[in-house]
Amino acid sequence: MRTSRLLRRSIISWLILSPLIIAVLFPFAVMFITAIKPATEVLRPTWWPSSPQWGNFITMWNATNFGAALWNSIYVAVLSTVMSILVSIPAAYALSRFRFVGKGFVQQFLLISQMLSPIVLVIGLFRLLVALKLLDNLNAVVFVYATFNIAFSVWMLQSYFSTIPKDLEEAAWMEGATPWQALRKVFLPLALPAVTVTAIFSFINAWNEFVIALTMLRNQASYTLPIQVFSLVAGRYTVEWHHVMAAAFVATIPIAIVFAWLQRYLVRGLALGAVK
Amino acid sequence: MNRSIFTNPYVLIAPAFMLAAFIILWPLFQIGEISISNVNRFGQLRGFSGPENFMAVFADPQFLASLWRTVIWTVGIVAGTILVSIPVALILNEDFYGRGLARVIIMLPWAVSLTMTAIVWRWALSGESGMLNSALLGLGLIDQNIQWLAQASTAFPVQIAIGILVSIPFTTTIFLGGLSAIPDDLYEAARLEGANGWQIFLTITLPLLRPFINIAVVMNTITVFNSFPIIWATTQGGPANSTDILVTYLYKLGFNFGKLGEASALSLLMFALLLFFTIIYVRLAMRGERA
Repeated sequence: MRTSRLLRRSIISWLILSPLIIAVLFPFAVMFITAIKPATEVLRPTWWPSSPQWGNFITMWNATNFGAALWNSIYVAVLSTVMSILVSIPAAYALSRFRFVGKGFVQQFLLISQMLSPIVLVIGLFRLLVALKLLDNLNAVVFVYATFNIAFSVWMLQSYFSTIPKDLEEAAWMEGATPWQALRKVFLPLALPAVTVTAIFSFINAWNEFVIALTMLRNQASYTLPIQVFSLVAGRYTVEWHHVMAAAFVATIPIAIVFAWLQRYLVRGLALGAVK
Repeated sequence: MNRSIFTNPYVLIAPAFMLAAFIILWPLFQIGEISISNVNRFGQLRGFSGPENFMAVFADPQFLASLWRTVIWTVGIVAGTILVSIPVALILNEDFYGRGLARVIIMLPWAVSLTMTAIVWRWALSGESGMLNSALLGLGLIDQNIQWLAQASTAFPVQIAIGILVSIPFTTTIFLGGLSAIPDDLYEAARLEGANGWQIFLTITLPLLRPFINIAVVMNTITVFNSFPIIWATTQGGPANSTDILVTYLYKLGFNFGKLGEASALSLLMFALLLFFTIIYVRLAMRGERA
């Protein structure tokens, strides 16, 4: 009786969700099928290729300069994540543990900086980088990405840190530990899940960012993946769509798999952050 | 209490604050300065110009068209997202076979860069060789190819639909968090009183989900208002600027037309709008805390 009700509910649930699921999976199907089409069939509006061309992924690698863009993306995403986490942990710790003059101001400043997307500031950011002669410099992009991730990271970390009882560190202090030892041995291990979730969000944000990279990276040697793939499409008369789709597929799938795998923890972490 | 740099909040906050201040406040002051200056297309400032740049923005019919389109864009995506996400969250909150898989699929657009999504759709929507047309033709839903991105009347609604699709994961997540906070006994009590599913939804679920809907509305409004890649990578605001919203118009003003003064003035106007949304957000969040 119970299982048959569950079965009925499952069928109804999947039926209701099916239009959305089709809409979500459709671009992935388009990406994959176009990527394995022979070059001569790409412009023919058939669904299936006459024979799948796995070699497209290899020719794409050189034709789209994929390796260099991949390296640039990894470089920018990893360094900006590390940087934003390193400055956000102490800030979140301070906001969750101490009362101090100016706390409200710091929180408001963070909130406003979260609302401001890079696009609204893009003229000023561009001038900043020009003034510092850092246009086309990946390290400058690392700084900008890290900064725009601080507000989100502090918000996520702070709401989680507040759930870790302060008694634990105080007990460590009683035992004669210095504040640094208490932090490192007691607090940080407990905070690790939140730090991981936050780091993954920062990484995905940096990996996917578009406007800053489009504006600040002018030379193909410094392009990240989204800009590289975009440059294969924008303002061109002939687009090698099977290469573009193969590149988009390879750039997207690893992140999507990691995300699918960790999704449960991410969602829990974010829900916690939102409820606070 | 031990004295240590690790217990001094100002020291702990300093690195994050200084980085943010440098990379956010400096550009903001720059924009403020340019917006009231005469500026040539190479970015050299040539003296104070008063409100001239702002006047030029207001006088530009493209600005008003983009502003109006931004309203449609933002309201359309946010309303659509909320309307789809509530039932999706309700379904995903109940146990059923394959729920984990359904959840993963629905969250998937979140992990994909908007640029990539938009480029894939640009290809899928292409008139002659696009797979959307061939799929719709195959299903018999249309009898000739539609040039989706060639005119605003089809391009803009499609862009809004893509915007809804990519906003659902975040919104559903917020709602799932809200649903998990509703105690089960409330539902049981209502069922004992003989309430049906719809009544339970209207009198228990919806009111208790209210704060989460408010937060989702404001946060989505801010994100969607700022959203650049979907339009830029599908139509670049074209054809003939007919799908420009404020962010794409701003980018064109600054980087394609070299009108830095007007672009800076527009940035400030958008900043003011975002500040307004932020104040609403803070009000809602504080009301949530007090309740």
